[in-house]
Amino acid sequence: MDIAGKDATIEPEKGNENPVNYCATNMSSDWPLNDNYLPNTSVGMIPRGNSIMESSACSSAPMVDSFCPLIWDQPVSEQNRGYCHVNIQNNARTSDSFGPSAGTGWIPDTMLRDDMFLPTVQGMVPQSLPQLPSDSGFIERAARFSCFSGGNFGDMMNPFSVPEYLNSYSGMLASVQGQHEVFAGDGTKLNTTESSKEASLPLVYGTEGSPLKNEKMRECLPCSREEAQQGVCTLANDSDEAEFSSRGDQEELEGSPRESSGKGVESKKRKGTEQSTALNVNNRALKPSAKTAKDDAEIQNKDDLNPTTSKPSGKHGKKGLQWPDLPKEEYIRVRARRGQATNSHSLAERLRRERISERMKFLQDLVPGCSKITGKAVMLDEIINYVQSLQRQVEFLSMKLATVNPWLNFSIEGLLTKDSRIGSSSSLGFPPDVTIPYPPPHQTPPGLIQPDLSSLANSSNALRRSINSPFTPAFRESTSQAPSMWEDELHNVVQMGISSSAHLSSQDLSGSLPPRHIKAEP
Amino acid sequence: MKARTGYSTSLKQEFLKKWIKGIRIYSNFKKDMNILERKKAIKLSADLAIASTRNASTRWSRTLTANISKNETNKLFVEQIFSDSEVIKKEAPSRLMARSNRIASKKIWRRSHITQIKARKMGPYAVKASSIAKKLVKNRTKVLKSLVPGGENMDGISLIKETLDYIVSLRVQVDVMRRLASAAENSTRLGLSSKCSVHWLQGIFTVLDHWCAMVH
Repeated sequence: MDIAGKDATIEPEKGNENPVNYCATNMSSDWPLNDNYLPNTSVGMIPRGNSIMESSACSSAPMVDSFCPLIWDQPVSEQNRGYCHVNIQNNARTSDSFGPSAGTGWIPDTMLRDDMFLPTVQGMVPQSLPQLPSDSGFIERAARFSCFSGGNFGDMMNPFSVPEYLNSYSGMLASVQGQHEVFAGDGTKLNTTESSKEASLPLVYGTEGSPLKNEKMRECLPCSREEAQQGVCTLANDSDEAEFSSRGDQEELEGSPRESSGKGVESKKRKGTEQSTALNVNNRALKPSAKTAKDDAEIQNKDDLNPTTSKPSGKHGKKGLQWPDLPKEEYIRVRARRGQATNSHSLAERLRRERISERMKFLQDLVPGCSKITGKAVMLDEIINYVQSLQRQVEFLSMKLATVNPWLNFSIEGLLTKDSRIGSSSSLGFPPDVTIPYPPPHQTPPGLIQPDLSSLANSSNALRRSINSPFTPAFRESTSQAPSMWEDELHNVVQMGISSSAHLSSQDLSGSLPPRHIKAEP
Repeated sequence: MKARTGYSTSLKQEFLKKWIKGIRIYSNFKKDMNILERKKAIKLSADLAIASTRNASTRWSRTLTANISKNETNKLFVEQIFSDSEVIKKEAPSRLMARSNRIASKKIWRRSHITQIKARKMGPYAVKASSIAKKLVKNRTKVLKSLVPGGENMDGISLIKETLDYIVSLRVQVDVMRRLASAAENSTRLGLSSKCSVHWLQGIFTVLDHWCAMVH
């Protein structure tokens, strides 16, 4: 097969040079694997490593012929591109709509040798590249679709007002890393043959305009646009776009509707096929607090998806069979990666893991200092410390506020100026020279906790670690400075605040305290 | 970013208002409190306020409110606070138990099944290493569950979700309290105080009102 030749022809119009060669090599290696699948159109590959394999796997089934490769983002785009073009050619061959070329010689007739892909294909064995709607629009859509990371799936799924048989495709989820899955976006255009369904309608929705805020999506977007421009077939489905936007509105959380929809897309679980969900990609940009809304949107997406997806083939996981009846049940459709177990339970496990990791990414943004940490255990440790420190801060601050001199009479001007100043400094916390008004003499200073220096030290460390802020210096100052009454007071208050209030006892912090109080009283 | 800051600002304002309201009600309850009681009042009001900003949509907020209401003395307080607003929803305990049992049994099955598969696939050492890692994660998850209110019966995914929400709320709480405390300190330091027998809470109220006016 003259893949190399093909690559040459393909020529990254987009301007990605390197990949072409890469693609070529990939293709050659993958070809045998994919048989007739259009080579890893599914590329989307996952970045690095197994990507090719997986991408090919993905693309394979349905995509097979028709897929127009999903051109992904830079690293993968190349590959895709190569594939894409190949696919195009391939499609052309099959559909006869395209020009020549595609020497189909490289596509072995043995389809689907790989069982892995079979499920996705839905039993469809694309012996002959199914006659896909050989319109350029379809290919374009496929390409666009592939460009989208998993996040976009939601959108893609959307338009699934596809005939049932196409639903099987809808299950494909792009892996986070960017595998793409060609998705049967628009079933209507596909031939009704089983094979054609499998062939995949790339869910290429005319979503270029959609606000793909997701990072990955952004990456894909240019690709899709380019693809579109290339005249790839587009499954121009106006309804899809409309659905898209409407869905986007529904899901709009913080302005990244597509991400949510992407999340929703991941809902169908297919037995035997699994792809990492692109949830994390989408979720990244979303605010954590918006998660609930997003999840609702996700569920909503799933609902939309359900009716449109066709019943999976017998090999599919149990969940797939219940689609039409599942109003709000959350199930995820995943695709097995190449070389991985296709057991439905392991798929579930993998899905679960992916969701967890995606959420951990959110936490990484939230907890300071966690950007470099990879690994659940360490992340959890940091999270625990952070939550503990926040809780301690609340305790401490409430104690501090309790010590505010009851008969302070705040003047308006002073407060206004103070407030404006305070408002500007967000991290204003413990000014080092803080002087806490000591409780009025008639109040028992007690209630002071037994000085627990070790806990104080620990809390200081914890606070410093998590907050990295004025707290520790203040503590240090208070503990190290000489005994001015104020410092002692601060120290006591700090100790009170830091130690959990369970330890509050009415012992005097130190015997010297009361006398100091009396002394200091004006 | 803009949306984010706008959202958190409104959250802070909401929290502040509710907090002030709670403190006022509490101070009407008990006129004279020592420092400990004041601290408890402040903390309670703050917790209730921050939990109510979620409108009982998250597990932790519901649990927090429920825990506070468990105490008899607090109950009246709580009811008064919420008399005009949201209803405190509580999940039926039976449902929780059933769900947790289901989850637990599923986990057991899954775990055993997966270890079998892994033992077949990987070498014995790899299995051990991964199991050690899993133990670590499990222990830490347990700790996290104890930290987050209401996290006991949740599975990993929703636990992380709740933690996220809880962290955001805690940050809001801390931020507002910190600002208030520094405002109080600064005004004290500047000698704006005069001694009189104004109740301590009134002092705080003034600060808070002024700050609200500033923010708005």
